[in-house]
Amino acid sequence: MSSDVVINCQRVGKAFQLYKHRNDQLMQTLFGRWKQYYYPHWVLRDISFEVQRGECWGIIGRNGTGKTTLLQLICGISQPTHGNVEVSGRVAPILALGAGFDQELTGRENAMIGGAVLGLRRKEILARLDSIEAFADIGEFFGQPLKMYSSGMQARLAFAVCAHADADILIVDEALAVGDATFSKKCDDYIRKFAARGTILVVSHDLQTLELLCDHIIWIEDGRVAACGRPAEVTAAYRHAFGIPSTFRAAQARAIG
Amino acid sequence: MQPNADAATGLGLVVPLEKAWHFRELIRAVVRRELAARFRGSVLGWLWAIFGPLLMLSVYTFIFSSAIGIRSAAASRGVANYSLQIFVGLIVFNLFSEVAYRAPALLHENANFIKKSIFPSETLAWTATIRAVVYAGISFGVLLIFEIALLHRLPPTMLLLPLVIGPFFMFLLGASWFLMALGSFTRDVTHLMASIVPVFMFATPIFYSISDAPPKLQILLHCNIVGDYVEMVRDVVLLNVLPNPILYFGSLLASLLIFRSSYRFFMQYKSVFVDVI
Repeated sequence: MSSDVVINCQRVGKAFQLYKHRNDQLMQTLFGRWKQYYYPHWVLRDISFEVQRGECWGIIGRNGTGKTTLLQLICGISQPTHGNVEVSGRVAPILALGAGFDQELTGRENAMIGGAVLGLRRKEILARLDSIEAFADIGEFFGQPLKMYSSGMQARLAFAVCAHADADILIVDEALAVGDATFSKKCDDYIRKFAARGTILVVSHDLQTLELLCDHIIWIEDGRVAACGRPAEVTAAYRHAFGIPSTFRAAQARAIG
Repeated sequence: MQPNADAATGLGLVVPLEKAWHFRELIRAVVRRELAARFRGSVLGWLWAIFGPLLMLSVYTFIFSSAIGIRSAAASRGVANYSLQIFVGLIVFNLFSEVAYRAPALLHENANFIKKSIFPSETLAWTATIRAVVYAGISFGVLLIFEIALLHRLPPTMLLLPLVIGPFFMFLLGASWFLMALGSFTRDVTHLMASIVPVFMFATPIFYSISDAPPKLQILLHCNIVGDYVEMVRDVVLLNVLPNPILYFGSLLASLLIFRSSYRFFMQYKSVFVDVI
């Protein structure tokens, strides 16, 4: 295997254990050796792909097809039921709005903790705090508790912290959709700049952005890889499958015609 | 597999410590958050942390110096000494009870952290224990002031306190890993602890000393490791006595065993927590 493979998923499958009763989880832990108390629900089956250093991969698929679960496996937050996930390098995930943020703490304090979670030293975070504040660009709210923030502001802060984490791999899960036009542009610029040196994995429903940004797209349907390859081909197949018009103009034409 | 690799290096005791060192910045940041959050929004702030123990000790001194005559080996050393002994016992026991009450809910409280960012959940035991130790430290400061004021001396054995608190700290860490893991599977653990900890308090030599009990009962009382630590801390902090070596090394061994096996238990189920909380 080439050493340039930074994310290597081999036949990855993930089953959630569903329980009839809440406390069956405890029974499973104690007596699971002798009796099975759960019903497996397969979210992902047989996913295999390799991401090379410096590539940008997009993940598409309908809601509930396992995209977020796949990202969780890659981040190491949860473990695959079978198969292997190998990741080399520091990962910075933006999985959800304000994930891991404390609503009572100020933006500054949350940035300190967020940076520590991403593996930064205290000195490093302190040195970057001004830069994080400037990137988030939320004015005096940086010193206010997070409960005063709008959801867009929280996304700005989350992205600003991750952007300063010296990550090798950036993982983005639809978190950017809430920012306004200026901030979206800032994020897009950052991602483009990041793409020059690092690896990116992004989940989005915005096919046009993905076509521009990514060099590979993987389409997940019902926990399996439905298609994987060049962006134009995969998105074309995806649009065809769900009857999404390829551009806004085409939609307009259809509506008028 | 992982456990064998753990066992190969330092009896499985080194790995958890190494990991904590690796995440020290994170642990420090979270402890700061916890400490800052506690008295946020109150006018007196940290004075509350001193006021509580101060009031408690004053009341004990008042009650035992006026109303109640206690027939106890401990009481024979004088009223001031007796109320200080109770206070030492309460500090050590409260340290344990805070961890016991809080640990089962820890993973649920931090579910957002654990599910949506790369958060090493085993560090939560460290932050909870350190937080409890900081509050105990404040009470301990109050104790020292009273000890100087009432007895006009500090025993030299006080210098040995770190040697007693060190193993106790390991025990508390182990207890929180174990309770965190259990608590993530069922919420009943939280309620269970709320019911048994107050009962447990009477099995701990806070208001008495183990030597007061009948000999047969003494062996049973020594099985309570928290009680053993209460006695040992009392020995070095107040009584100017070296702890019984058998008791000390027995507790040390038990604590390290609990530390090690609880950590393994926690790490074994770590990947499951994400899916159940």
